[in-house]
Amino acid sequence: MKSRLFVAWFEREDAILEAVRAARQAGYAIEDAYTPYAVHGMDEAMGLGLSRLPWVCFGCGLAGLLLAFGFQLWTSASDWPINVGGKPPASVLAFIPLTFEFMVLLAGLGSVAALFLRARLYPSRSPRFLLPRVTNDRFALVLTRPDGHFDAPEMRILCERAGAVATELVEASS
Amino acid sequence: MRDRESHLVAGGRRWLVVAVAAGLIAFILGLLFRPVQAWSAFLVSSFFFLTVALGGLVFLAIMYVSNAGWHTVFKRVPEALAACLPASAFSMLAILAGARWLYPWTHADAVLHDELLSAKAPYLNTGFFAARMVGVLALWVFFALMTRRYSLRQDAHADIKYTRRNVVLSAIFLALFPFSFSMASIDWLMSLDPHWASTIVGLYQIAGLLSTAVAAISIVGILLRRRGALPDLTETHLHDLGKLLFGFSTMWAYLWFSQYLLIWYTNLPEETTHYLVRLQGGASFLFYLNVVLNWALPFVVLLRRPAKRSEGTLLWTSTVVLVGRWLDIHLQVVPAVAPDRLQGPMGIGFLDVALLLGFGAAFLLMTDRALGKAPLLAEGDPYLVEALHH
Repeated sequence: MKSRLFVAWFEREDAILEAVRAARQAGYAIEDAYTPYAVHGMDEAMGLGLSRLPWVCFGCGLAGLLLAFGFQLWTSASDWPINVGGKPPASVLAFIPLTFEFMVLLAGLGSVAALFLRARLYPSRSPRFLLPRVTNDRFALVLTRPDGHFDAPEMRILCERAGAVATELVEASS
Repeated sequence: MRDRESHLVAGGRRWLVVAVAAGLIAFILGLLFRPVQAWSAFLVSSFFFLTVALGGLVFLAIMYVSNAGWHTVFKRVPEALAACLPASAFSMLAILAGARWLYPWTHADAVLHDELLSAKAPYLNTGFFAARMVGVLALWVFFALMTRRYSLRQDAHADIKYTRRNVVLSAIFLALFPFSFSMASIDWLMSLDPHWASTIVGLYQIAGLLSTAVAAISIVGILLRRRGALPDLTETHLHDLGKLLFGFSTMWAYLWFSQYLLIWYTNLPEETTHYLVRLQGGASFLFYLNVVLNWALPFVVLLRRPAKRSEGTLLWTSTVVLVGRWLDIHLQVVPAVAPDRLQGPMGIGFLDVALLLGFGAAFLLMTDRALGKAPLLAEGDPYLVEALHH
């Protein structure tokens, strides 16, 4: 299935910020804003909530901590206790460095994996639509309307008032 | 220059003066009746506030060298802390008068009957100790005064050349600081127990100094903001200060653990005594409390983003870290000077608290004076615009 998307192009970050605010006020749904770099204030303007990625990071870190600690405890104290330098088998202190490293490793890999999955960045995936210039010098704002009613001329007026230099309609595979 | 109202101490000035006087009286009485306690309390608080002042200078130097602009909004705060460095240096020099109560290697007969102390005598002797102390203090004070001077001149002339000069000064200072401060930590703290040695002491104190500095800057900045004197300090700035506090407190914990783990692993009697003294009886409570205040609590509290951006949370977490840092130094000094003193109910005596409050009050008054000497917003700094839009 194909869907139509409205794309407005901007040359400056304050223009796209203004367009985002105006579009939300007018009741349009913002599909996404594409910028060559992170624009300060864009999250607030788009009304994005806090990212849930930290919770994934925390969960993966906790899992890494418990796994590494439990595994060391099991191997050195329960499954095959060995006397190392006269220290007790369950020497928690000696487990800390590895536990810490494994926690960091899982938290890091888990966050990246979660980001890639959520952003649908994986091999063999073809992009829904391409906006090549956003990796160079242009800012693009993609609008839809939640109820399916799609009034391109009205969107165009709104964006041009905010400072859009060009607008177009794009076909996207959904 | 006419002093401005700086709002830091506001109406509390009278109480602070009373606290300074009370601390001074307590110290004099302590000198008469309990000189060892009085001097160890003096060393703890003196060194603690020296790290606050020096921390302000190190913070500024890092900002200058990294070409940072975000801190310009509140750069007068670390500058004011660093302006207390000359006074802190004098209080450290006073330790020379009490050295014989604190450092066992100052007693000629003890050195004579101790092989290790005799071997260390070429380094650990009163004359060389004093020379090193004067040297490092003079070095830090020089950089503090010069950096401050250029920063104040920039207010009048708004010329980037003063920033450039401070970048050069800061680069030289940052190259000298780790060595000089490591040496100072080894001299002033580690040599209290000259039989014990740890190669990580310098780095450990540097990590502590950095978290002290960020905590102190946050507290002063937030207090000024609450009184309406620093409205441009936004939650984005607080967020970054919170991140730094989180990071440096974790770095402190990393080094704390590194020292503990290595000594535990090797299990050499001359090294483990350091921890045994601090883990016996009531002292073990303070030992673990140290890690909770300096790391566990700030780590858990500051983990979430809203906590770092919240004025109130950052204020009290910073206060906890400062108290923890004082306790950290207390636990370095007191058990080395008087091992049985930790066996009391809390291991912290009346003199320790009285001197901490006295020093703290004096430090606040001096910071307030330094803040009043110049406009709180460094109008002449070319980076100010960048900081306002941070």
